[in-house]
Amino acid sequence: MNTVIYILLGAGLVFFGGTTLAAFYWAARTGQFRNLEDGSKVIFDDDEPVGTATDVFADKKADRPVRAAVARRRII
Amino acid sequence: MPRPAAPPTAAEDKIERAEIDASTRLPVVLFYGSAIFWLLVGSFFALLASLKMNNPHFLDQWGWLTFGRVRPAHLNAVAYGWASSAAIGTGLWLMARLCRVPLRYSKLVIGAAIFWNLGVLLGTFGILAGDGRSIEWLEFPNYASGMLFVAYGLIAVWGVLMFRFRQPGHVYVSQWYLLAAFLWFPWLYSTANILLNFEPIQGGAQGAVNWWYGHNALGLWFTPIGLATAYYLIPKVLGRPIHSYYLSILGFWTLALFYSWNGMHHLIGGPFPAWMISASVVASIMMFIPVITTAINHHMTVRGNFGALKWSPTLRFTVFGAMCYTLASVQGSFMAIPSLNVITHFTHYTVGHAHLGLYAFFTMIMFGAMYYILPRVVGWEWPSARLIRWHFWLVAIGIGVMVVALTIGGILQGLALLDPGITFMASLDYTKPWLLIRSGSGILLTAGHIVFAVSFCLLLFKVGAKRTEPTLFGTDQGREPEPLNR
Repeated sequence: MNTVIYILLGAGLVFFGGTTLAAFYWAARTGQFRNLEDGSKVIFDDDEPVGTATDVFADKKADRPVRAAVARRRII
Repeated sequence: MPRPAAPPTAAEDKIERAEIDASTRLPVVLFYGSAIFWLLVGSFFALLASLKMNNPHFLDQWGWLTFGRVRPAHLNAVAYGWASSAAIGTGLWLMARLCRVPLRYSKLVIGAAIFWNLGVLLGTFGILAGDGRSIEWLEFPNYASGMLFVAYGLIAVWGVLMFRFRQPGHVYVSQWYLLAAFLWFPWLYSTANILLNFEPIQGGAQGAVNWWYGHNALGLWFTPIGLATAYYLIPKVLGRPIHSYYLSILGFWTLALFYSWNGMHHLIGGPFPAWMISASVVASIMMFIPVITTAINHHMTVRGNFGALKWSPTLRFTVFGAMCYTLASVQGSFMAIPSLNVITHFTHYTVGHAHLGLYAFFTMIMFGAMYYILPRVVGWEWPSARLIRWHFWLVAIGIGVMVVALTIGGILQGLALLDPGITFMASLDYTKPWLLIRSGSGILLTAGHIVFAVSFCLLLFKVGAKRTEPTLFGTDQGREPEPLNR
């Protein structure tokens, strides 16, 4: 029983060390480390482009929040 | 070769994003809802344990409410019930967004949510009933930890499948953190449980396995998820790319390289081979590299826009958490230096450090993430800005007071313990006033959690008038994007 467990744990050690190295190799080979400035912009799109904030405090009054928030944002 | 499709328009982007958000609704709400439930349970046990520090006989007529049970019940309820559920909920949503595909295999994650909650429930009852294992961070009895592992295995498989079906393109830094955390944690959890609870290894080595796990749970599970969230939310809320993306990638790979070695610094002075401890101390100092890269990035991205903390609840919580990440990590590296460790070891200073890491850093970032994610997946605005403000100030002041009190109390305790002229019992007297302050801060934190739970329920049951204009749903229609301060 113990032997089986130690073999499993050893295999786990090799597997997880190995996958990390493999992931690093894959990232380098597929160009993940190139054009980093473009990479940083993948979370933006045409609808939420760079330069647009996407979160404002909900206001107390239901009819005022957007305008108030936009006005506040203009100041910043 | 098919011709490349025309780039999507803004309207298409908006629809795609809404579809992805909606696809994560049930799993995210399940994980977040249970997280908040366990946060309240954990806060209750925390308060009890804290009060018992000053009044040891408080409620000790019942065995299940003695310190030896409520303290591990607190730790496990917040670590596995709150923090891990919040981490998984956030991870599911982030993964779907970053892969740019609607959530697939939702049965897999819903099953995981059910198993996870059953596991935490059984485990917490087990601890209270006296079945707890006296191994810090792994107190859950075997019947509970097995269920947690099944749940977690499902999440890990899901993470790999989602990554497999992602849309082509660059893999954003948050995705690296998420995928790593999803893969690392089941391995850590199963290895530590097998070696300590199912087929226990020989005595001395158990301490090493225990702290290898204990530190990695923070370093390779909570930290990557917290950082993945911060690396997504801070740029996204401000509409500004990360200051130096190069540094963020460097930070990820150096974290992967150094963090897993850190656990042995919990055993400084213990009966272990000197090389194990030394290697760990060196790795703890090397953690300055990933920590400083992250600190520079987060600070420089927000710099010039700190006013944004006034209007964005998400940003307020997230930036607070990101700053505390730097603080907790730098403190942790210093605590690993043996000459300082000799004072802080076995004192309340360590407890303060743990709360700085798991609460001021991780929990605050999770609150920030929930404020961003929930309105988008539920399709309903947070009902009250006042509740959000109360939540923030209660927990921010609460955790600040707690960390300061435990730090001062811990140093006094450590110095007293080192003084041969002071008896052990007398050394405890130094901590009493600080522990009382800590209990007070615990009341503030619990009050903040109750406010948040109320806010969450109001949102979930869509209380209040329907808002006609989205306030948290991105750009306001028809408005030109304005450049923020550069």
